Amino acid sequence: MRLHFLLLLFAVPAAHAVSLLNVSYDPTREFYQEYNAAFAKHWKAAKGEEVSIRQSHGGSGKQARAVIDGLEADVVTLGLAYDIDVIADKGLLAGDWQKKFPENSAPYTSTIVFLVRKGNPKGVKDFDDLVKPGMVVIAPNPKTSGGARWAYLAAWLYADEKFGRDEAKSKDFVARLYKNVPVLDSGARGSTTTFAQRGIGDVLLAWENEAHLALKEFGADNFEIVTPPLSILAEPPVAVVDSVARRHGNAEAAAAYLAYLYSDEGQEIAAKNFYRPRNPAILAKHPFPKLKLVDIQEGFGGWRAAQGKHFADGGVFDQIYQP
Amino acid sequence: MENEPMSIEVARVSKKFGAFPALDDVSLKLETGELVALLGPSGSGKTTLLRLIGGLEQQESGRIFFDGADAANISIRERQAGFVFQHYALFRHMSVLKNVAFGLSVRPRAKRPPRAEIERRARELLKLVQLEGVERRLPAQLSGGQRQRVALARALAIEPRVLLLDEPFGALDAKVRKELRRWLRKLHDTLRITTVFVTHDQEEALEIADRVVVMNQGRIEQIGAPREVYDHPASAFVCRFIGNVNEVGAAFIRPHDVEITSRRNGAPSLDAVVEFVNTAGAVAKMDLRLEGSGELLEAELPRSREAELALKPGDRAFVKFRDVRTFPS
Amino acid sequence: MIRRLFLIGAALAFLVLFLFVPLAAIFAEAFRRGAGAYFASFRDPDALSAIRLTLLAAAIAVPLNLVFGVAAAWAIAKFDFAGKSLLTSLIDLPFAVSPVVSGLIYVLLFGAQSWLGPWLSAHHIKIIFAVPGIVLATLFVTFPFVARELIPLMQSQGRDEEIAAVSLGASGWQTFLRVTLPNVKWGLLYGVILCNARAMGEFGAVSVVSGHIRGETTTLPLHVEILYNEYNFVAAFAVASLLALLALVTLGLKSFVEWRMNP
Repeated sequence: MRLHFLLLLFAVPAAHAVSLLNVSYDPTREFYQEYNAAFAKHWKAAKGEEVSIRQSHGGSGKQARAVIDGLEADVVTLGLAYDIDVIADKGLLAGDWQKKFPENSAPYTSTIVFLVRKGNPKGVKDFDDLVKPGMVVIAPNPKTSGGARWAYLAAWLYADEKFGRDEAKSKDFVARLYKNVPVLDSGARGSTTTFAQRGIGDVLLAWENEAHLALKEFGADNFEIVTPPLSILAEPPVAVVDSVARRHGNAEAAAAYLAYLYSDEGQEIAAKNFYRPRNPAILAKHPFPKLKLVDIQEGFGGWRAAQGKHFADGGVFDQIYQP
Repeated sequence: MENEPMSIEVARVSKKFGAFPALDDVSLKLETGELVALLGPSGSGKTTLLRLIGGLEQQESGRIFFDGADAANISIRERQAGFVFQHYALFRHMSVLKNVAFGLSVRPRAKRPPRAEIERRARELLKLVQLEGVERRLPAQLSGGQRQRVALARALAIEPRVLLLDEPFGALDAKVRKELRRWLRKLHDTLRITTVFVTHDQEEALEIADRVVVMNQGRIEQIGAPREVYDHPASAFVCRFIGNVNEVGAAFIRPHDVEITSRRNGAPSLDAVVEFVNTAGAVAKMDLRLEGSGELLEAELPRSREAELALKPGDRAFVKFRDVRTFPS
Repeated sequence: MIRRLFLIGAALAFLVLFLFVPLAAIFAEAFRRGAGAYFASFRDPDALSAIRLTLLAAAIAVPLNLVFGVAAAWAIAKFDFAGKSLLTSLIDLPFAVSPVVSGLIYVLLFGAQSWLGPWLSAHHIKIIFAVPGIVLATLFVTFPFVARELIPLMQSQGRDEEIAAVSLGASGWQTFLRVTLPNVKWGLLYGVILCNARAMGEFGAVSVVSGHIRGETTTLPLHVEILYNEYNFVAAFAVASLLALLALVTLGLKSFVEWRMNP
């Protein structure tokens, strides 16, 4: 047994014909673990070639930075389009990357929901409830986390609708919400742990899939999910990092890897992991609650505009949030 | 011993530490086999001179010759100078025997004696310094006097052509110091290795050395046999530094050259008042205040003479000087 | 008497609260699903890879820092030279800067956007987000341990013994091997133990240059974080228990060496 262990320790992993590195954001760990196995099987059947996919996870913005600094990702599957735009700006992939795959290169969507403690003791139903005095809200830091930016924009979207696009009032509303956030974790997963594991806060602003995963991991008898009537359509995008994949000779496999996300099997695995599949037939098979979803283009004029106005240094978030 | 002791010549050597002139144009010749004491207060340059001879420092100008050869071309390792330091500098992790054997055991293979021979010689040296039976101990387990004897044995092991001792007894108490001093003198009489001995203790220098080199502020004040520097100091500094001295005006008078009478006896004398009398010791000591100038005078006189005079503090006395020295300022 | 008992009691309570309770908690969590699940955690290829990488980084960083630390301490404690105080401050640099900054230094030096980046990329040399980067970061953060331990020790011992050795005919190398080194051997071992503990336990600097590629560029501490983030608490604590064991062994060795240094 001991010898066996030592052999394992120093054995060099067998070389594979194709090896892809997928640099992704935090909440997709479980999804890609399952999807990678499915794709490897599919590729073996279709091409007769072994493929191994290595994963790296972290905050979406941080991961984009690592790719820019030289982390050799064949594909990136990040939390929001802006983070891939930043990589494109450095010339690692084409500026029109969003046109390479259907649906703006976002094979699955998600939204921002509320995770509350069992029985919803504070009666949280909508964003209005989050700004009430005394409500303790847990959310990650929009400066570092993709999910956090979606959450912030969802709140802003709600305020816009409520106050008829009166910017001063929307700003005040979101400011009051973040006054109720005692601690900003740097990533979505950190916030979930703070709320579920450490038991801090009344409500967690979370990715829909992350909320479901928390329910699964920490028990449906401890938490429940509240879906607001209106939220943002989060479109986590994917792209082949052309320059890297070409250098690795992986361009074909990388493109196939992302394309397969749109297949029935890919869409099914996404839905199983609580991402909303694009394929309406598969979406219909899963009990995702209905709500009004507004996308970033409609609500904010796209990611570059939203990023510049809200999250750049000195932007709206910096103005309303003083730690 | 296979190596003959050597003569050392220091010619017009100067050395500065920053702006401080540690040695200023110093010349000195050491004869083969003699024991020379470098004597002076701290900062006088005596240790610097020793370290220059040993090769631990480099002079700025001037030259040093070993048996006529320029020492600049001889590395520390080749000088065969045996060092003994004030704080022993024994190798703390080695036994006494290993300490003494060190110099032989680091020789190049071709020149290194066999292991058994090294041990035999080390034991012999420990016998010479009267330290049999402590071979296996660590330096920390020895007394100060024992440690310094180990250090000496260690220095002797390399068959040095010159022994350089830097305040070797400075860290020992008075009694051990006196014993070791005599013992070293005797050892030197047996071995006759050219030896340079640094000390700030004039009694030590006078007792042990063939010749004394008195140093002050980086210069040599006087070189001479102990009696010579005591009796015929070449400068006011030497006179002050070696033995006690009274300074009356520009005159220097040794306490034992002060003659005291209780009555005026015709010969010219100075009036004084006795201030203090100490009769505990080989000679009696008396402090007197000169009338007129008010200067204090120390006198030493045989106890029999003191008893004869029977002077008490407050008594009037008359003083004369047997010997008076003056130095050009 | 009562005051002394109170102080001892307070110290013990502190020790229990801040050392034994967390340690016990680690092992309790690690064995929550039984010994089978505990040992299964180490058979995971990613965990094995993390152990392998951690051992590799320490196996490179510790000997290099040993050699460097001894050389630097010797130079600083026994010789005077221009730039000595600068070297002394440089040795302390890894202690002075945050580990994250230490990691970022390498990103700025060897990252794709650095001026070295294009050249490295053209020659297919991977440093950051690969094993060399992790080794470099480990080397950097553990760099002061041996030197810092030896410098005061060598300074307090002075140069007398070395001067004596040279005057007795020893070469510089003989003096170093037979006089300087034996005099500091316990201090040296102490420094090596601390250096190794830090090399294996470093998180911040390594995290920045790792790229977090599972099974490839994750060390033990990074692997613990990944497992924890994946809600895989048993495995996270099982791997953490390895690090805790390392800490305990380090503590034991450290006390032994301290005892030998001051008998």
